[in-house]
Amino acid sequence: MRLSDLAYQAERFGLVIVWIAVIAVFGALRPDTFLTWSNFSTIFGSEAVLVIVTLGLVIPLTAGDFDLSIAQTLTFTSMLTAIMSAKMGVALDVVIPVTLAAGALIGVINGTITLYFRVHSLIVTLGVGTFLHGVTLWISDSQTIGGVSPALMQYVIIQRFFGIPISFYYAIGLAALIWYGLAYTAFGQQLLFTGRGREVGRLTGVAVGRVRLISFVASGMMGAIAGLLYTGTTGSANPSSGTMLLLPAFAAAFLGATCIKPGRFNAWGSVVAVYFLVTGINGLSVLGFRTFVQDLFYGGALIVAVMVSQLISGRKERNL
Amino acid sequence: MIDGTIPRLAIKGLSKSFGGVRALSRADLTVDAAEIHGLLGKNGSGKSTLIKILSGFHAPDEGTLEIDGRPVSLPIPLGQSEAHGLAFVHQNLGLLADATVLENLIAGDHGRLNPWHINWRAEAARARVLFDEHHLRLDPGMAVSDLSPVKRAQLAIVRAADRVRAHQAHGGAGLLVLDEPTPFLPMEDVHELFAMMRRLTARGIGIIFVSHDIDEVMEVTDRATVLRDGHVIGSFVTAQTARAQIVEAIVGRSLTSDRIVQDLMLRSGPATHVQNLSGHTVRDITLSIAPGEILGLTGLIGSGYDEVPYLLSGAAPARSGHLDLSGDRHDLPRMTPTAAIDAGIALIPADRQKAGLALDLSLTENVTLPLLGRQMSGALLNHRRLADKTAAVMARFAVKAEAPGQAASELSGGNQQKLVLGKWLQLGPRLVLLDEPTQGIDVGARREIYDRIIELCAAGASVICATSEFEQLEMIAHRVLVFDRGRIKAELSGSNVTKSAIAEACYQESRSHASV
Repeated sequence: MRLSDLAYQAERFGLVIVWIAVIAVFGALRPDTFLTWSNFSTIFGSEAVLVIVTLGLVIPLTAGDFDLSIAQTLTFTSMLTAIMSAKMGVALDVVIPVTLAAGALIGVINGTITLYFRVHSLIVTLGVGTFLHGVTLWISDSQTIGGVSPALMQYVIIQRFFGIPISFYYAIGLAALIWYGLAYTAFGQQLLFTGRGREVGRLTGVAVGRVRLISFVASGMMGAIAGLLYTGTTGSANPSSGTMLLLPAFAAAFLGATCIKPGRFNAWGSVVAVYFLVTGINGLSVLGFRTFVQDLFYGGALIVAVMVSQLISGRKERNL
Repeated sequence: MIDGTIPRLAIKGLSKSFGGVRALSRADLTVDAAEIHGLLGKNGSGKSTLIKILSGFHAPDEGTLEIDGRPVSLPIPLGQSEAHGLAFVHQNLGLLADATVLENLIAGDHGRLNPWHINWRAEAARARVLFDEHHLRLDPGMAVSDLSPVKRAQLAIVRAADRVRAHQAHGGAGLLVLDEPTPFLPMEDVHELFAMMRRLTARGIGIIFVSHDIDEVMEVTDRATVLRDGHVIGSFVTAQTARAQIVEAIVGRSLTSDRIVQDLMLRSGPATHVQNLSGHTVRDITLSIAPGEILGLTGLIGSGYDEVPYLLSGAAPARSGHLDLSGDRHDLPRMTPTAAIDAGIALIPADRQKAGLALDLSLTENVTLPLLGRQMSGALLNHRRLADKTAAVMARFAVKAEAPGQAASELSGGNQQKLVLGKWLQLGPRLVLLDEPTQGIDVGARREIYDRIIELCAAGASVICATSEFEQLEMIAHRVLVFDRGRIKAELSGSNVTKSAIAEACYQESRSHASV
């Protein structure tokens, strides 16, 4: 194997190795509390929502667009689920499709404004997200709403395989779907050219407008799935649930683009990045650090990781 | 030049080579005070090298420069030329369209402005005085994007004139270099610009006017200097020189033909027809092309020839026109890139970096994009097969690269262009549209690209090649259409396709000028 191949493999799996190293260090320091299956199954299960939000971001990011509204889509759909289920007594087999349709509709709104009025997606989704947060506070009267059908919790957090809540497997399943879609379908290639060479794609017959619209709809639906799982995880919806997830999800998406398939937003890289970040935070809190370490770690790890990855790849300009 | 007076600018023995190729060879140029001096030459004649040495962009290999009799050491550091009394207005004018007239006027005026506080009211008042002085009716608060093209050009010229004024303390009035400011202006606006130039020279400012357009040079300049192949062919007093003499100086006389394409064979099969095509610049163009024919399109900058490939492939919107290709009629205002590909049309754009290839992505991804959903099933991509397809294209088009998986940015310009050709030609197109297919490509790769284009025609495809390189047309075109202000001005075919004939047709006095 040549040196450049070796460097490339080091770059691909660098974050995985660092993740294992982090586990080893915390495990050595706190073998009884940190290095237990129950701790890990909690991490895997409870952070499935963050994984799905991150995966949702990967799709428009690949197409060259930002979806800042995804976290508030989560909050809104989570609240919608809770209100329909707890307050209105709607059955789950109606609640779930309605929630997914709401997510898709938000995507259509984002996409239509971005494409038709030619406004940058950053501005559109910032506005739509903030608006959605207002709607959420309004319909919930700024209250946490509990009493959601236990069946939802059953299908999200209570059922377990190998001790890990089923929500984790949903997240992995979605990651597999997005990985497949990006790597093995013509649509994935069209998404990539829409983001990285929009004019090249257009002249080669890619309907770049339609591709971008679909990517917004996909991220809206991913936000809705995350919303359903959020409500299912806690059995309730609170009107600020998504707010704390937006920046960690972006951090994980960019961090994920430094590994597995370096230089590209990718599904498995995002999964690794999320679990690396939450493992670090979990370990620090087991050591007794207080909540401020969360943001220190999310931010610090992102910056350090992208610097290291740029050093490995020879500091060449990257246009993500 | 009147004896005894010191010229505004004097260049002596200026030379510059790039990688062994002499771009400029011992060039001399004198510009007097209060003179408009034309600078003429084809693409690659050394004109732009000369201008770039003056602006400090290139360092010359040898040669001296004197301004108002004072020697100036070369290269002039970037940003220092205004201090020497030199200012430049390039074709793109250097204006920020989103900003106001005033913001553009003071942009970069570091010598005069207080960096901690801009007094906008005083600056606006100063701008009004300045505009009055130049007979320019312009509101400092207007956005540049709302100005007509000629107002923008005038603003850029006034700004340049204002910048060299500081130099007057040294005793000289300064020198402006106007580098092709006119190709996108209508005739009446060109005259408005000329009137402004004459008012500037009336105050002693010297002007170097670079243009492709001989008629404009004949009309506005006092003297003109012609460059060809890096040499100064001569300087002429415009009023005493015949037009034909200048054309001959620009074009030269070539004795040998470089033609590599065979004469057109008559083939069965319907010709391709384009009727009543109008776009941004071109108006009501009708042309036809036979199977196996290479049709060259050329003209001066702004004549619109380079728009045709994009209009025919749906890459840019046509205002009217239709295309008859293989028995199907296509309405061009409704043409899309997808419809064009399905009709067997391939566009190889001039902007390789932005429109030809996605440089971050791999060779395989670039080459196979048009196959997805067409020749390849869209449901499941077999990466091995895609890489094999790419390797086959790379072999057929002699693309030198390590592996199909490497990024397109790592290839040389010539190999990138061969890859773009391969990407499109693997689809077996019936009509191939090329825009400047050999821009920025070395001689060896050029020849390979010509050979591929000729092969394509031998196989019965039709090729339209838009280019500003007359040599290229002499080598490969069966027929050439010369454009002027959006219309076809001349047609050359067979053995008449020589670079000097094309050049003469391009520089020939045009009807729109004659009618003025």
